Amino acid sequence: MNSNPRPSLPKVFLLLFCFFLLAACLSHLREAKFYYSQGQAFSRQYQTEKAIAFYKRALEEAKEEAKKHPSAQAYLLKGMAELNLELWKDAEASFLEAFSSGFEEGEEWASELSLLGLASSLPGLGLKDLALKSYSYLLDKSKLKPVSLYAAQKYTDLALAQSLPKEEKEKQKILNDLLKKMENLSEKDFGCGFYHYLQSQILSHLADYRKSFEEAAMARELGLPSEKIFRDNDLQIVFCYEKLKSLLPPEEWREYESHYEAWIKKWGWKDSQTPGWKKEANNAADN
Amino acid sequence: MKVSSVEKALERGVQLVSEFFPLKTYLYFPVLYSACIWAIRRREEWKGEIFSWQVWLDPDAIEVKPDEFVLDFFESHPGLQKAYKEEIKAKDFKTLRAAFRTLYPLIGLEDPFLEALFKPELDSQDYRKIASEFEARVNKAKNDIEAVEEKPKFLEALKNFGQEILALSLYLLSDTQIQKLIIKEIKKLKGKR
Repeated sequence: MNSNPRPSLPKVFLLLFCFFLLAACLSHLREAKFYYSQGQAFSRQYQTEKAIAFYKRALEEAKEEAKKHPSAQAYLLKGMAELNLELWKDAEASFLEAFSSGFEEGEEWASELSLLGLASSLPGLGLKDLALKSYSYLLDKSKLKPVSLYAAQKYTDLALAQSLPKEEKEKQKILNDLLKKMENLSEKDFGCGFYHYLQSQILSHLADYRKSFEEAAMARELGLPSEKIFRDNDLQIVFCYEKLKSLLPPEEWREYESHYEAWIKKWGWKDSQTPGWKKEANNAADN
Repeated sequence: MKVSSVEKALERGVQLVSEFFPLKTYLYFPVLYSACIWAIRRREEWKGEIFSWQVWLDPDAIEVKPDEFVLDFFESHPGLQKAYKEEIKAKDFKTLRAAFRTLYPLIGLEDPFLEALFKPELDSQDYRKIASEFEARVNKAKNDIEAVEEKPKFLEALKNFGQEILALSLYLLSDTQIQKLIIKEIKKLKGKR
């Protein structure tokens, strides 16, 4: 029989005990990663204020880590937090510092991420062509999906910006090359909704609204990385609907509209131009 | 490694736990002992774990839209259509694109942060004011946001204790020696009371 008068450990103790263990092993790097991840989680939910607060904390922790235990990862985290806070110059310096610190074996992900971060800081400093080359390199070489996703978005945005002021023929060439590149990515990973979203955006520049709609619908079905992208994709769907309404011959339009009605019913939209998340219809055509 | 410095660190640990659990002395030993063992024996393990914990950059929405999309955005919103009537008519894409960059996230995507920031202008449909003040006000608001607050003092203190233990090369002592040292410190504290 146990004569020990000690009470059993209460839940509160267990909780604090876990906190203790956790706290005892915390390093600034770990905390930076934790706060950075929290920032990302809020950013994906479109909660900008909270995301910024967490990125700022992640930056503080990364700075501490870089000061006390300089390492490639410490500078990488610092650069990533700075990038999210749009501190381009600081971010560029941090990523360069990460490279000069050298990555260990097994840190290829961090090395590629540093290159990605460095490329992201370049357009803010007026070096768009260099950024485009870096993204292209990563799109061709990287086997890491998060690197490809980010590089694909940045590459697409830069290439689209490059195409805007060009003559029609040159513009078409840039857009078709870009589309081909994204189609290749999609062929390798067809289930990735984000690649379909990118194709939908490019097809919109090519004024191919039917295909743009199809790719956007596919993207919606497969899922998108954040609320902001999800909403943007929905507005692309609405835009394609409106364009097709004025462009398609009556019979083709009727067929398209019946399919469209089925889709928006499935998605729970308020009407043909108002996705579920939209507060009100901004329907000028009816006004 | 000096045993006296270990004793001092453990003394501070005991003191710390006693401050937070003054009447629960039975908790001191398991808490401190587990923390010490965990801190010492798994130091390399944590380092590996922390370094292999991968974080990424998230992709964003595509910002560059075709002219048709920009035009449609202004034309399909009654308030914007009215405010940018002249530019829409003249297809002044320089002005429309500059305004689109600020108004699309706000009115198109309904960014909650921006909606809160520009609520008075949205209510009064002063879209031109939003476009002209956007950059400065958003930057100011972002600068004004404080980093998430510090962890509670207790956790901070525990963290410091853990780091102190790590720095003391405690691995040179056996588990039994560490147990004895902790018990000694707890007894010392009890003796003082």
